[in-house]
Amino acid sequence: MPNIKLQSSDNEVFAVDIEIAKCSVTIKTMLEDLGVDDEEEEVVPLPNVNSAILKKVIQWATYHKDDPPLPEDDENKEKRTDDISSWDADFLKVDQGTLFELILAANYLDIKGLLDVTCKTVANMIKGKTPDEIRKTFNIKNDFTAAEEDQVRKENEWCEEK
Amino acid sequence: MPFISKDWRSPGEEWVKTQEGWEKKKVLECTAQRYPALTNFNSSGDNQQKSWSQEGQVGEKTNDSGNRIPPHCHITIKCTREIAGFNGLSEAVRRLDFSSAVRDVRRFNYICALLELLLGGQKLTHLPGAAQKLLLSMLEQLADQVATSQQNLNALRALIVALSSLREAEKRACWGRPLGSRALWGHHDDAIARINRIASSIRIQEPGPEVVPKLHDLPEECIREILLRISDHRDLDAASGAWSVMAGVCSEQRVWRELVAHHYSPLQLQHVLKDAAEPTDWRDTFHRLRKLYGLREDTQYAETLSLCRHCKCLFWRSLGHPCIADQCPEYRERLREAGGPLAPHPVPPAAFLKFFSL
Repeated sequence: MPNIKLQSSDNEVFAVDIEIAKCSVTIKTMLEDLGVDDEEEEVVPLPNVNSAILKKVIQWATYHKDDPPLPEDDENKEKRTDDISSWDADFLKVDQGTLFELILAANYLDIKGLLDVTCKTVANMIKGKTPDEIRKTFNIKNDFTAAEEDQVRKENEWCEEK
Repeated sequence: MPFISKDWRSPGEEWVKTQEGWEKKKVLECTAQRYPALTNFNSSGDNQQKSWSQEGQVGEKTNDSGNRIPPHCHITIKCTREIAGFNGLSEAVRRLDFSSAVRDVRRFNYICALLELLLGGQKLTHLPGAAQKLLLSMLEQLADQVATSQQNLNALRALIVALSSLREAEKRACWGRPLGSRALWGHHDDAIARINRIASSIRIQEPGPEVVPKLHDLPEECIREILLRISDHRDLDAASGAWSVMAGVCSEQRVWRELVAHHYSPLQLQHVLKDAAEPTDWRDTFHRLRKLYGLREDTQYAETLSLCRHCKCLFWRSLGHPCIADQCPEYRERLREAGGPLAPHPVPPAAFLKFFSL
């Protein structure tokens, strides 16, 4: 099985099966563009991902390596935020920091499936909450002025009336 | 338990005491991994039983492993008055393992919708006492799940409002007292008080300063990816009320265009637009569509109950069930001649309740 070496931002090197690494579109195009030979022991640097997160990403990719590719135009699936497999749900029982780092990594490495499931997890944290509760959940400061808040409320009221 | 049998000769049912009261052993066997005590009764039993009790100790993580029989429930389809007695709601609820479904993110919404139907239509009070007790304990578990996961807060709030209005309506139903056993209502009131206590003590936990990165450290494109996955306009409004960056993303046409595409068909869209080829304001278009057609229901549940058309068996679609078409080669042969096996039929919550005489 040909391996590829991935180097995290803190200089730890992971040897990964090339087929697994290719679920990242970023790595895949890089390999295609550079035409890296299987024989060569090349190390791919990933300066935006630290070793703890890279380890989790590789764990996710290894588990999902035999998944069928995501259909491009299935809008319904994308919006169904409770459609998370139980393995993924357990995998994503992590603190918010790790979750957001995984989103950043999935975005940078362009791994559609991982980005989808992590964003769904965050969307589930937003669902069914009031603005105040959302701010609390994510520790966001209220950056609206009173006048702006009034404006938003009025707009939403207008939409709600029958 | 006393000896109860329908004719006077059969040995009768075997009963087992559970947390929620007495239940028939054959019903509990479907969900045996939740009742390790049950498997201890017949420890001399076969290997299947042993593996169940082992799984029960390992916990929920092994729920998906293959050697357990998935929860399923055979059902009489045409529910006339004569055979209504054969379809018991509480038996189905137990057999289909609803109480562990509450903890499953995929099945949570389905259970919520079901409870809302039962509470909203005042149907709960027409159920047998055992079923009432079971449903209230399910609601309590649901409240507990919401409290620990801090998700779906509004679903719990809606259920509690429905529950208290139901209790209020029942208060003076019969001679200034609720109809039915006084002890049972005392039991219910305790459960309702517990549920209210769980709900009112939910406090959202803020992530500490040591947790980095935070949501506001994410680039806008990631925030957009998150908001594109929300299917309810009220959540979008709440999100835009919470933070200026989310408000900015929510004011983009793309978010609302995809919401329209998710909920409505091109034909419905055309009907609202009339002559214009492309709407200028997708948000306005969405709300006009919503007032006309309502929101789509069929896509709301990641997991629904299904009805097998061969063995008339209810089961969770992703878990499967032991089917006659798989077990009996003769039957399979005949099926193939008739044109292949039929796909199972999805059963939305309202259709599920129709199987029972409520």
